[in-house]
Amino acid sequence: MADIALARAPETAREIRHARRLSVGAKCAMPVAVLLGIGFLAPMVAILAYSFATPRSFDVFRSFTLENFAGLFDPANTVWLSFAWSVGFALFTVAILAVVAYPIAYGLNAVFGRWAGLISVLFVFPLFVSENVRLYGWVLFFIKNGVLDGTLRWLGFSGGPEVLYTPGVTLFGMAYTYLPFMLFPMTLGLALVPRDLVDAARDLGAGRLLIWREIELPLAMPGILIGMLLTFVLAVGATAEAKILGGQSIIVISHDIEIAFTYSQNWPLGSALAVVVSVFIAALTLVALSKLDLDRMLGRR
Amino acid sequence: MATTPAVARRRTNTLIWIWTAFVLIAVYLPIVCGALASFNKSRYFGFPIKVYATEWWQKTLDSIEIGMLVRNSIAIALLVTAISVVIATFGALAFARYDWKGRRLYQKLILLPVFFPQPVLGLALLLGFNAVGIQTSWLTAVFAHLVWIVPVVTLVIAIQVYGFDPSLEEAAYDLGCTRVQVFREVTLPLLWPGIWSGMLFAFLLSWSNFPLSLYTAGADSTIPKWLYAKMVAGYTPMVPALGTMATLGAASLLLGGGLIMLLLRRRQPA
Amino acid sequence: MFQTIPADAPPAHAATALPILQLVGVRKMFGGFAAVEGIDLDVREGEFLTIVGPSGSGKTTLLRMLAGMDQPSEGNITLRGELINDMPPNRRPTCLVFQSLALFPHKSVGENIAFALKVKGVDAATRKKRALELMRVVRLPDNYHDKNVMKCSGGERQRVALARAFAYDPDVLFFDEPLSALDYKLKKALEKELKDLHRETGKTFIYITHSLEEAMVMSDRIGVMRAGKLVQVGTPEEIYGAPVDRFVSEFVGEVNTLKMTRAGAEWHGVDVPGTFTLAPPKDGAALDEAFVVIRPEYMRFLAPGDRADNRLSGAVYNEYSLGSRIQYQVRVGEKVMLVELSRAHALAPGASREVTIGWDAADAFTLGS
Repeated sequence: MADIALARAPETAREIRHARRLSVGAKCAMPVAVLLGIGFLAPMVAILAYSFATPRSFDVFRSFTLENFAGLFDPANTVWLSFAWSVGFALFTVAILAVVAYPIAYGLNAVFGRWAGLISVLFVFPLFVSENVRLYGWVLFFIKNGVLDGTLRWLGFSGGPEVLYTPGVTLFGMAYTYLPFMLFPMTLGLALVPRDLVDAARDLGAGRLLIWREIELPLAMPGILIGMLLTFVLAVGATAEAKILGGQSIIVISHDIEIAFTYSQNWPLGSALAVVVSVFIAALTLVALSKLDLDRMLGRR
Repeated sequence: MATTPAVARRRTNTLIWIWTAFVLIAVYLPIVCGALASFNKSRYFGFPIKVYATEWWQKTLDSIEIGMLVRNSIAIALLVTAISVVIATFGALAFARYDWKGRRLYQKLILLPVFFPQPVLGLALLLGFNAVGIQTSWLTAVFAHLVWIVPVVTLVIAIQVYGFDPSLEEAAYDLGCTRVQVFREVTLPLLWPGIWSGMLFAFLLSWSNFPLSLYTAGADSTIPKWLYAKMVAGYTPMVPALGTMATLGAASLLLGGGLIMLLLRRRQPA
Repeated sequence: MFQTIPADAPPAHAATALPILQLVGVRKMFGGFAAVEGIDLDVREGEFLTIVGPSGSGKTTLLRMLAGMDQPSEGNITLRGELINDMPPNRRPTCLVFQSLALFPHKSVGENIAFALKVKGVDAATRKKRALELMRVVRLPDNYHDKNVMKCSGGERQRVALARAFAYDPDVLFFDEPLSALDYKLKKALEKELKDLHRETGKTFIYITHSLEEAMVMSDRIGVMRAGKLVQVGTPEEIYGAPVDRFVSEFVGEVNTLKMTRAGAEWHGVDVPGTFTLAPPKDGAALDEAFVVIRPEYMRFLAPGDRADNRLSGAVYNEYSLGSRIQYQVRVGEKVMLVELSRAHALAPGASREVTIGWDAADAFTLGS
């Protein structure tokens, strides 16, 4: 454990390197910058351009109108409902996952010991299975004559509850899909709480609740916030849960965007919607990230 | 004293173990359900399964159409892995190793695609390809995957870079290495575990990606894309069969990758 | 020639008072390994006790058991007669100053200091008042109350950590090498301050360090640990003047050690030729084989005709300046002997490097192990 008192010394060494390496860092960033410039910023510009094109046309860069945005802000439109569903579900997902993931994150840091590695891998692995496959597995579980229904009948009950294709199961699916995105930043955050500080607080007379409130929670906050932000943002953009598990009992905002691009062939409207969502997400992300020190989070020495 | 702190802590730890086990079961339950459905002889799913059979697995393996999807998925994933690992290694050095003027901004911008809803990103890319007149195919899907996967792999490798002492590079430089030699002799070997995990991430994330492939692969289909099409309309037990196969493929790759990493670590001098 | 002992050495009441902390047969196992073993120790009320030992000797493990962060596998720890083996740290009237200091980085100087008061539910105004008082005790300026603790210098952080421990008002304070990360000058200054604070507060201090020099300056008593055991406990003079074995004598500082075997009434050198006169061992044991330990400052160069109980001839091959003193390395056969002299007695620049060195039996220790 590096002594806090010594933390200053590397800083100066780093500053010396700073002067020498200035250009090397920028060079290393070039390939990524070019890729994201073409692959991320350019399409965003294209979307922005489309959002000002004449509705139901492909006249990009040739027409300028605010009609698409006006359409979104029209109270007669149901877009706001989708937006509300998305944000509301995302908030619920964050709240549920914070409660579900915290004990596991704590366990990974302080309880599981040599099993922690294996347990982490078990939680990561589902990320490598298409979410379609996993969500469809839940359909097979919840559907009439499915695993739950069949098992309950076989046990002599009157059958399973009819939860499939409801908003509730959509929320369940979202919490299910985004668990790793809450769990890992949270684990990282809790790992940032030095063991010494907890010991010191206990030594000074603090009980478990007080230690949790005064030491663990505030120091783990950066990680917890990143987890919350990540889950919130991903959940706002989620569609698969509502489509596969929710059976379109509710329409979420990303689904609205897809509909505008595909069935209704109204690219300008879809673009305007995408612009609104993008600005919302980008603003939230950048504001939150500006308050966090990524170097410390990821363990720079 | 009714409960000593040691007893209370043991009780809390037991509860944490139970809770974690419960959540893990929930995580794997749908995957098991899919596997069960794939071994059902009947065309329609019903539980408990009356007759188990492997005929849908056989049919899936025999299908020419599915063979093509698998080849597409593998080709995309391999290309994405190869390209992303090179770009992301340098990207990670810029993220974590060097101090340069734009670093703070770069660190934040690189996260944007990760945080961005993938269906919308896919649509935006489709729009972009359309605007410059590029016909979408599996190659455009590779590009789309890169936009999302390169930042993720950059972060994975960056974590390894953070744990690496920059003075080692300086020592090698001081001992007469050229910049290229420093990279080959010191930087690369020390970052190798991170690069290796980055490659696994790249392959597996591309392999399982659906939203980006949906909009940017054009007429070419991938495994997740085909599965979705069949889930929405035209269920056959080949859907869970192929899904289970894809899962098993990912699991064996992860297992193999992990084993290779362990072996590499063991070969290092103790 | 003994090192000066602080004039205020053991307070008069210390020798008669009941032990505040008592350890009986304390042992701590990690797996099959005994990190600490067979510790019997009485700590007197109000004393400054330092445990020294090389890294890995078990001193931190011992301290963690005293503070309640680890539990002994065997044996008893009692505080004022009450068994506290399993009492958690938050219920013990003891407080530890960590090696890392463990200051809360998200709290200000004042909040750090007043943490123990907040735990007790003391109101904010009283907390601030008390924090400012304690800041004065540890000589921190008042305007540091709201300063970010991470922006303080190394020495200031030490003071914050100390004040935070005082705020808990513990009966016993533990220190786990808190000065090890500081530069020499600051360390010396803080050692003296700590000693002063000990006297002013009258609390029992138990201090851990690997530096005997640090221990000598501050302590009323010193315990030397090796491989999990307490080898010797005594006042600084006892540790310096009457080490129980070679380990303690060598730990105290650079020494010359010579192995001897007995043939009848005569002692013969094993590493160096000749017969020698030995003082009887302190414990009066009859030995056939012994180690003679001579401190470099008790060695001297002998001019022809000078008297000494024991003598060796050799050649000076190196000399080091130690400030006011000079240390010579003298090769005697395969063995290197150290001779330390004040500058006034230094070898003349042109003098022969072939020298005779000697010492008196009463200035050396005869040890069995």
